[in-house]
Amino acid sequence: MIVRGKVFKYGDNVDTDVIIPARYLNTSDPQALARHCMEDIDPAFAGSVQPGDVIVARSNFGCGSSREHAPIAIKASGIACVIAASFARIFYRNSINIGLAILECPEAAEKIEAGDQIAIDFDSGVIQNITKNEQYQAQPFPPFIKNIIRHNGLLNAIKNGGTNNE
Amino acid sequence: MNLIEKYLAAAAGEKEVKPGMDIRAAVSYVAAHDVTAPIAIRQFEEIGVDSVFDPEKVLLIVDHIYPAATEKARKSVWEMDDFSKKYGVKLYKSGQGVIHQLMYENHKANPGDIIVIADSHTCTSGGYGVIGIGVGSTEMAAAMATGKLDLEVPQVVQVYLTGKLKSNVFGKDLILQLGEIFGTDYLTDKGLLLTGPGIEHLSTEERMTVCNMGTELGSMITLFGTQEREADVEETREIDLSSLEPKLSKPFSPVNVSNVSELAGTPVTQVVVGSCTNGRLNDMEQVVKQLSKQPVHPDVNMLVVPSSKTVLAAMEERGWTKIIRDAGATVLNPGCGPCFGAHEGLVSERDLVISTTNRNFPGRMGSIKGQIYLASPATAAASAVAGKITVPAEE
Repeated sequence: MIVRGKVFKYGDNVDTDVIIPARYLNTSDPQALARHCMEDIDPAFAGSVQPGDVIVARSNFGCGSSREHAPIAIKASGIACVIAASFARIFYRNSINIGLAILECPEAAEKIEAGDQIAIDFDSGVIQNITKNEQYQAQPFPPFIKNIIRHNGLLNAIKNGGTNNE
Repeated sequence: MNLIEKYLAAAAGEKEVKPGMDIRAAVSYVAAHDVTAPIAIRQFEEIGVDSVFDPEKVLLIVDHIYPAATEKARKSVWEMDDFSKKYGVKLYKSGQGVIHQLMYENHKANPGDIIVIADSHTCTSGGYGVIGIGVGSTEMAAAMATGKLDLEVPQVVQVYLTGKLKSNVFGKDLILQLGEIFGTDYLTDKGLLLTGPGIEHLSTEERMTVCNMGTELGSMITLFGTQEREADVEETREIDLSSLEPKLSKPFSPVNVSNVSELAGTPVTQVVVGSCTNGRLNDMEQVVKQLSKQPVHPDVNMLVVPSSKTVLAAMEERGWTKIIRDAGATVLNPGCGPCFGAHEGLVSERDLVISTTNRNFPGRMGSIKGQIYLASPATAAASAVAGKITVPAEE
């Protein structure tokens, strides 16, 4: 599976409060959450994101609360993948469980800039920076995570025959 | 094996576990609150099982937005109510208190047990010897169906404590100091184990405050062990508790830590004492010590939020709520209060808040420009009285 899109770039410690502020957590409707995604760090995000676009950030992306609303909002906004130097634990697991693709790649997190066009090959973990004509290697997902993402989340994967970590 | 490994091995039915090993652990309680439960309920229905793993061990608790601030928030309570009746699980829906406090007061797991709650501050239970793992709604739904949690055995960092805290230094100051040492991600996916003779002088409630903010340091598990030094750990750091000073976190990160003395004199507009971090009776005692001597400064809103109705009742019995109110502060209903930024006590860009809560991210309590400083109840109350950031006096 290959996705291609433009980059929204952020720094270290992007927390779940700025990904989706508490004042919007009285709903869990994905489209309603997507309208306010990244609002407190990047008010222009929700209005300009296109399906297939990619968020690239530095270390500890998704720190803070366990709110699954955060990866749900990002996914519903059309973002195809989040690339970061590292992720906070609960956000990482939530993303996998709801079927938001995420990749750890410190080199990509350092070199990719806002607005770059990139293409990601999820099978090989190769991130192609089309704008800069560079290539970065992310750790490819272990097979069971690939399976969850292909099935659009943990529960669907279980219903469609189980994950192979059973 | 160290204590965390021993507990995980027992929960997984393994003779021995090692860091990096994938295990499936039995859990003793599974719970969610009004923000995370609605998604968990839908995910649980998706799984398509007929019952939860044990109705006595599943809890739903309305604490984040109580009383409902919006119609939508009230609808979430009804979703929880329907689920509670359908599957026979207990629902706390009348403002009984914050989820982590109610687990401690009413559903206390045994030392070594694992509890799973769809909330990042589940680690609070490490203060009473229980491994608390915070998860998202989908993992909570899976645990509610199976009574199991998949996880990898973490590397363990030991903090070996000696000495005794000064009278104006508390568990809150210790965890802020640890935040200064480890930062936000050094402990990601790791276990943090606190041991040493120094833990003798920390009450269970103070230990809960320390463990509560383990998640701000990225840890997977935060746990108090014994006074003995653990040998089988990845790394050990030593801290002499008597060397600590009152600390605070500056905007906009819990690990952006200074000594309170460095910021003394900065004017304050709102003070919040409460939350799963510092809303217990011992915290209220620190507030009462200050407010029985002097009223709250006229330029400060002081909001006091007991973490449960049990804490509130104990305050009333001791005459503390009257002292707090007479000093000009407002006692809010038990629950998460302003910590979560969805209702009461929101701030504007002109505010500077001293709060005993756990996060000071941009917009955490309203305006993204509102300045939130995290500190102990003693520092918060001393600052409320003075109207400016103040080091609490030593006794």
